[in-house]
Amino acid sequence: MGSSCFAFFGILLLCTCSASPPNFVLLFADDLGFGDLGCYGHPSSLTPNLDRLAAEGLRFTDFYSTCPVCSPSRASLLTGRYQTRSGIYPGVLYPGSIGGLPLNETTIAEVLRPLGYATAVIGKWHLGLGHNGMFLPTKQGFDHFLGIPYSHDMGPCKNLTCFPPDIKCYGLCDISNVVVPLMENEVIKQQPVNFLDLERSYSDFAANFITTSVEKKQPFFLYYPSHHTHYPQYAGIGAAGQSLRGPFGDSLLEFDNTVGHLMATLERTGVINNTLVFFTSDNGPELMRMSRGGNAGPLKCGKGTTYEGGMREPAIAYWPGIIKPGVTHEMASTLDILPTLARLAGAELPQVMLDGVDMTDILVKQGKSKREAMIFYPVDPSEKYGLFAVRLGKYKAHFYTQGAFHSSTTPDKDCPETAVFKAHDPPLIFDLEADPCEHYALPVDTPDIQSVLQQVKTVKEQFESSMVFGESQVAKGTDPNLEPCCNPECSPKPSCCQSLPD
Amino acid sequence: MGRMVALTLITFFAAIICCSWTKNLPNAPSPNIIIMLMDDMGWGDLGVFGQPSKETPNLDAMAAEGMLLPNFYTANPLCSPSRAALLTGRLPIRNGFYTTNARARNAYTPQDIVGGISKDEILLPQLLKTKGYVSKIVGKWHLGHRPQYLPLKNGFDEWFGSPNCHFGPYNDQSIPNIPVYNNSEMLGRFYEDFKIDRETGESNLTQIYLMEGLDFILRQTKAQQPFFLYWAVDATHAPVYASKRFLGKSQRGRYGDAVMELDYSIGQILKWLRTLGIDNNTFVFFTSDNGAAVMSGPNESGSNGPFLCGKETTFEGGMREPAIAWWPGHIKEGSVNFQLANVMDLFTTSLVLAGINPPDDRILDGLDLTPVLLNCSQPLKNRPIFYYRGNELMAVRLGEYKAHYWTWSNSWEEFRQGINFCPGEEVPNVTTHEQKEHTLQPLIFHLGRDPGEKFPLSVLSKEYQDALSRISAVVQQHKDTLVPGIPQLNMCDSAVMNWAPAGCEKLGKCLKPPESNPWKCDWPH
Repeated sequence: MGSSCFAFFGILLLCTCSASPPNFVLLFADDLGFGDLGCYGHPSSLTPNLDRLAAEGLRFTDFYSTCPVCSPSRASLLTGRYQTRSGIYPGVLYPGSIGGLPLNETTIAEVLRPLGYATAVIGKWHLGLGHNGMFLPTKQGFDHFLGIPYSHDMGPCKNLTCFPPDIKCYGLCDISNVVVPLMENEVIKQQPVNFLDLERSYSDFAANFITTSVEKKQPFFLYYPSHHTHYPQYAGIGAAGQSLRGPFGDSLLEFDNTVGHLMATLERTGVINNTLVFFTSDNGPELMRMSRGGNAGPLKCGKGTTYEGGMREPAIAYWPGIIKPGVTHEMASTLDILPTLARLAGAELPQVMLDGVDMTDILVKQGKSKREAMIFYPVDPSEKYGLFAVRLGKYKAHFYTQGAFHSSTTPDKDCPETAVFKAHDPPLIFDLEADPCEHYALPVDTPDIQSVLQQVKTVKEQFESSMVFGESQVAKGTDPNLEPCCNPECSPKPSCCQSLPD
Repeated sequence: MGRMVALTLITFFAAIICCSWTKNLPNAPSPNIIIMLMDDMGWGDLGVFGQPSKETPNLDAMAAEGMLLPNFYTANPLCSPSRAALLTGRLPIRNGFYTTNARARNAYTPQDIVGGISKDEILLPQLLKTKGYVSKIVGKWHLGHRPQYLPLKNGFDEWFGSPNCHFGPYNDQSIPNIPVYNNSEMLGRFYEDFKIDRETGESNLTQIYLMEGLDFILRQTKAQQPFFLYWAVDATHAPVYASKRFLGKSQRGRYGDAVMELDYSIGQILKWLRTLGIDNNTFVFFTSDNGAAVMSGPNESGSNGPFLCGKETTFEGGMREPAIAWWPGHIKEGSVNFQLANVMDLFTTSLVLAGINPPDDRILDGLDLTPVLLNCSQPLKNRPIFYYRGNELMAVRLGEYKAHYWTWSNSWEEFRQGINFCPGEEVPNVTTHEQKEHTLQPLIFHLGRDPGEKFPLSVLSKEYQDALSRISAVVQQHKDTLVPGIPQLNMCDSAVMNWAPAGCEKLGKCLKPPESNPWKCDWPH
């Protein structure tokens, strides 16, 4: 009775939404693992705001990104397509990368903008700059951009301050690049970026963007790919030293604080009941950072690997009145966000081969996933080997496994880079429901598993026959002259590319 | 079938109660106390602690309505000492539930154990009785099975359950099957009168334990008598079991089925408290006796989430427990408190809730948690957690720092036979297979940053030195004042097994014991 009322009310609201399209806030953490949030069982993280979203919204237990590193995962999130199609592989883009997310790819922002959405991205872009900033967000459907165009460790950081009053960033970061800039749209605002003030800038910018959009009665799409909790961790005065978990915990707490501020803004502006807030992360934890890295909870390995720890992510959907509080065990992916937002907004889907499926039913009806399989590509996918693993229903079959530098220092010998590339024929097969940790491979000589393997092979063949690898954008290489520089004519580069903070 | 009975009974009871008792007891001075103690359930087995399987909707709801305590510990990584500590408020090294047969060995109360809980110990129900509480234990006792050690000789008014683990079946020749008691007399034996199907894992025990609990709550409510229910169920201990309705229902296999049934039962108990209108007057605490038995994986093991190793070890996986406190109207709903706490605190806290002064003639290790639970404060900042394995203080936690003075997973001999206490997580120099002493330079972990105990602090760092100096002072003080109890778990004898428990005559179930031939028990872990 209660739930049917709820469903009815939900449908009613969805219908009203066609008159006033819903707003979307997409929160995307960086290198945050499956086990890093309080609501996912971390014993010492402080994430009260995300925990509240989880308690009052829908928490996913089987949600995947498409790649165990940043750029490809982000390309899939924004396009609803595996990174192999858009060409964002192998690995990630660099400050001087010639390539970027191809302009003929359609991003979520480009799907929504024709319907009158205001669009903004704050934080980490990491889908390319290119010549004349041709791949920046403002060329990809976003009205506004405030952030760093790539990872914040892609520039020397030894002399930068990561925690107040003047605690230097831990480690060297990438010493051969320009110091990391903060950009507004296509213009460099600061170089180097001021980490202590960065989160406040983002938070203010987001509040302003939401408030302005609401005042203009414009629906909005706010994409906040945070730098938190990627190395080197930083935090400003509101979070530094406040967590139980050291630098990583402070970084996570700062992100969580911003989530709290965003929610307060949505409430204050009266749009909270017409806004879908979706949170997830780009890839698994960078275990090589040890106590300063994230946590995959019970899952195997982390960033850089195609084990569960590399690609299964925390994910929360929050929309009071529409999404009923609960936990879903349906399989879903970052790929599914574009089709879902398009459906909710009433937008046209791009006329391309999409890998995402609409997950509205999971969100509003506690319904089933339309997703049959999840494909696991390695950091460096190739047509020669194709996919590394497939999850079909509760089974996951690994055709190839490989450890990763990012997952080194863990006691599990399958995780570090010393676990070399290995083909498995027959594939290693796990029951992820009984054994989410991928500890106990199933014997393949039973009829049941034989039949599962047959189905997996069919899915694999079908999928791979539909896969057309896009031209690799990363393989186009780098040109140091493309690195963003606030004094374009200065020398010697890269060290001269610095300005006094404004 | 069992379920139908349960539902009918609940409806029937509810009908009586709603008419006559609902409003009678809202503000009784002494709240009822229910301690739900799971067996070998791990920290990571609850949805609210990150388990991806969907087995614990009721526990997750209990957490949402109550307080989650992520820093809650047992007193020992094995059943019997953990339970003895809970009921006495004292570390096993003080209450005698340990062995000196060899260093750092986990001992418990199998059938051939001669000892049991010392008569010098005061148990929680004995004290609660002074304020008129009626106490019942449902499930596993595990503080000794010889007549003088049984629950009704130690303060409990009622008991339904078994004195030992539900291992078996045995042939009743060399080893008798474990008896199930109703109060002071046996009702039958496991595998004979109380079925556990080792093939299918089917058993109705959890359903029976649920009904025993509900019935006790109802009777005490009607009698307007404050009560203490110690609900010590054991479905998640190997051999893991569940009733037919739950078998095959979870994602995780038989272990998950057992968790599901326990979760369902906990939901029923909380619902029952509401139906009877005593939820605002009943303090409920959920926890487990030790970490998940990861050596029994994949089929009979739970999950310790992000923690290292499990049962039998003094790593976090062995001793950090899931913990939820629930008391509507008194404990803030949906709260999380990082206070370091342990099962011995439940002893002291229960006494304080009942308005009883804790005994002052002995050292108690439990602290009063009521400021934490009722006011959400965290006042007990400097309280240490001691990790004992048998007679050895293996590690100490103070704040976020944990210092290991000794490390040991299990012996090489056992490990080579395939018994793995830390599957998939052998940490060099930490999960050692010999008993390794680090007293001169303890391994120190910051559990906030590194809850998985994988990255020891550098001994050269100031952080290490500061932490060590603070912990050393605590260890020194603890050792200086420690008076170890007389070890109760040193001697074994086949003659003391459950051959002829009280009540066996009526049932024709008495067996003939062999001649007494005591030996020093062998504790391999």
